[in-house]
Amino acid sequence: MKPEVMVQDLSYRYDDGEEKALDGVSFEVYPGEFLGVVGPNKAGKSTLCQALVGLVPHFFHGNMDGRVVAGGIDTRETTVDELSKTVGLVFQNPFTQVTGAKLTVYEEIAFGLENIGLPRDEITRRVDEMIALFGLEHVRHHNPFELSGGQMQRMAIASIMALRPRIVALDEPTSQLDPQGSAEVFQAVAALRNQGLTVIMAEQKVEKIARYADRVLLMHKGKVAACDRPEVVFSRDNLLDLGIRPPAYTSVARELDLRRPDGTLPVTLDDAVALLRNSSVNS
Amino acid sequence: MRTISLYVEKESFIHGLDPVTKLWLTASLLIIPFIVGNIESTLVCLGINLALLSVARVIRRIFSILAMSLVLIITLFIIQGMFYGGNRTEAFALGSLVFYREGLRYATLLTLRFFNIISASMVLILTTRPSDLIESLVRRGLSPRIGYVLASVLQIIPMMISNTSTIMDAQRSRGMETEGRLVTRMKAYLPLMAPLVMSSLVATQERAMALEVRAFGARNPKTFLHEEIISRHALPIRVLTSLGLVAAVIWRVIL
Amino acid sequence: MSAKPKTTPAFTLSTMSLVLIPVVVGINYIGKLFAQTLKLPLWLDSIGTILAAFLNGPIVGAIAGLINNLIYGLTVDTMSFVYAITSVAIGLVSGVVGINYIGRGVLPMLGIGLLVGIAAALVSTPLNVIFWGGQTGNVWGDALFAALRKGGFPLWGASFLDEFVVDIPDKVATVIVAWLIFKGLPKRLTRLFRRGASA
Repeated sequence: MKPEVMVQDLSYRYDDGEEKALDGVSFEVYPGEFLGVVGPNKAGKSTLCQALVGLVPHFFHGNMDGRVVAGGIDTRETTVDELSKTVGLVFQNPFTQVTGAKLTVYEEIAFGLENIGLPRDEITRRVDEMIALFGLEHVRHHNPFELSGGQMQRMAIASIMALRPRIVALDEPTSQLDPQGSAEVFQAVAALRNQGLTVIMAEQKVEKIARYADRVLLMHKGKVAACDRPEVVFSRDNLLDLGIRPPAYTSVARELDLRRPDGTLPVTLDDAVALLRNSSVNS
Repeated sequence: MRTISLYVEKESFIHGLDPVTKLWLTASLLIIPFIVGNIESTLVCLGINLALLSVARVIRRIFSILAMSLVLIITLFIIQGMFYGGNRTEAFALGSLVFYREGLRYATLLTLRFFNIISASMVLILTTRPSDLIESLVRRGLSPRIGYVLASVLQIIPMMISNTSTIMDAQRSRGMETEGRLVTRMKAYLPLMAPLVMSSLVATQERAMALEVRAFGARNPKTFLHEEIISRHALPIRVLTSLGLVAAVIWRVIL
Repeated sequence: MSAKPKTTPAFTLSTMSLVLIPVVVGINYIGKLFAQTLKLPLWLDSIGTILAAFLNGPIVGAIAGLINNLIYGLTVDTMSFVYAITSVAIGLVSGVVGINYIGRGVLPMLGIGLLVGIAAALVSTPLNVIFWGGQTGNVWGDALFAALRKGGFPLWGASFLDEFVVDIPDKVATVIVAWLIFKGLPKRLTRLFRRGASA
């Protein structure tokens, strides 16, 4: 299968940076796959997300080496607005993503579509579709700034999705939200997955990544420390040295030495329960 | 969330006009007295403006706005009445303070002009949603990027203001003194400003990126989500205001 | 917004500048609000305009000043339209001078404050004469104006001094505050503005 996203030997240094924010990063993501990106602060997760949509190198003025190809387009050869139709990015802070120029949720979601010059009836159709998909029906005429954090972030996702990208990157979209807001956003992310999109999600909440991701990219100091199935990555012994905590179920299973036949630890509740049931039947 | 605006939502003939026609109307009625230059033309324009404001049923708003400038107008009469350069004819004297006709007449002209500027502007401002005005201007060639700036200013200001009281309370509860001697109050200024100013400036980076990934930089012509409705009265009004302007210029040149 | 723009149309505002302008207009607004709340004898209503000029150069400073007064005129005080040209002058002057002296400590800032104050008074004077017969509406300035006129001082000179005595302390204080804020900003951000202005 042809990869949907191809990152080849990507290095990047901001023009004010001493160290490389990204250092020889290579990986591939396949169509419809969900790639979780984990790592401590400053590991390069945000820079990576920005590189996927062309903000690196077009918005920041640093030194980029290597290549990013998203949906068949080399990000260096095109513009950020052109790329927006192929790959979208949702940021951390729902509040700063509100354009500030629109008076209703409906108009806010339409913003990108007005920019690319779609016909009016097509805009209406797409915005209605997004409002339904992300459960924003009851707030469609509200001012964007009046929404709760969770609603605002869903609106941000809807605004990106309205551009119909094939790939969506999310840069810690729940880090500024309360538990209720986070839950809403993860529901929205599940909806993206069900739409068959290729999703790349940087996230601190490893339990959620363990549940949604097909594969996990573990980053450390701008480098790829691991890229594999969640149970393989989260079963590593040196996770804490790399600055991340394994999912709670994985830590408990490690204490109990509850492992799969291949030696990996369970990463989700269901995983752990299934293994426990199995082991109690066997013993 | 409100935007800062003096707009009064009502149904009226004036409200129903498109923003650009109202802009024409306001600009002409504002400029004509300056072109003609006498008190009479100012009175005529002021009369028309007040009539338009009554038609729009927003006339009461204008009085409170004018009342706010009362002090300024009183000092205008005092200073010009006494010290205007062309003062010749004594009008009256209060003890040793002598007031002159020329100065008082000049102060009257300035006051009427000021009233006219305010009321002409209010014909537009009180009856037009700022976002509609901006969108109309973008349709007629204003850069959509500037349109974006204007529209977002209207929302960002009230947001920042609503944060100010939170900051005041927070800093006071940390023992900051906001009253008393001038030095004390001056010292309080920066700690009050800094949190809001810094966070708003830092947020610009992510907002700029968020706009970019929503194709803000696209060079193609943009779509307008809403259709523009132009009232059938728009054309006659534009013709009339243009004629008024021409007449004013002719008056000035010939007389 | 590409890294290496092949053709740059005459002058396009970068997206960074576009999102900066509403924020600095807001800063002007709350700067004034806090000055009023603390009953300071200064306006402090152009901190944002000067900050825009420091961050992004004279053109963005001027545009920020213009938009500030347009919006203020549209929403609060109609006469502010008329004084838009003063705000433009403040943005232009602080940008032209500021961009070269921003990293050189507090002393040059006093000079910039003085220059901005002179520029503001120069531009405002004709407007004050046209609309208010030379007055500014400030109690102290107008008292001076009345005294000078009584002593036979020429109208334009008296009007300029009326504006000047009020503008100088205000603009010096404003420039200092803007400079302090500028110094507190992350380097990556200030660089983004600088580069955005030229690209």
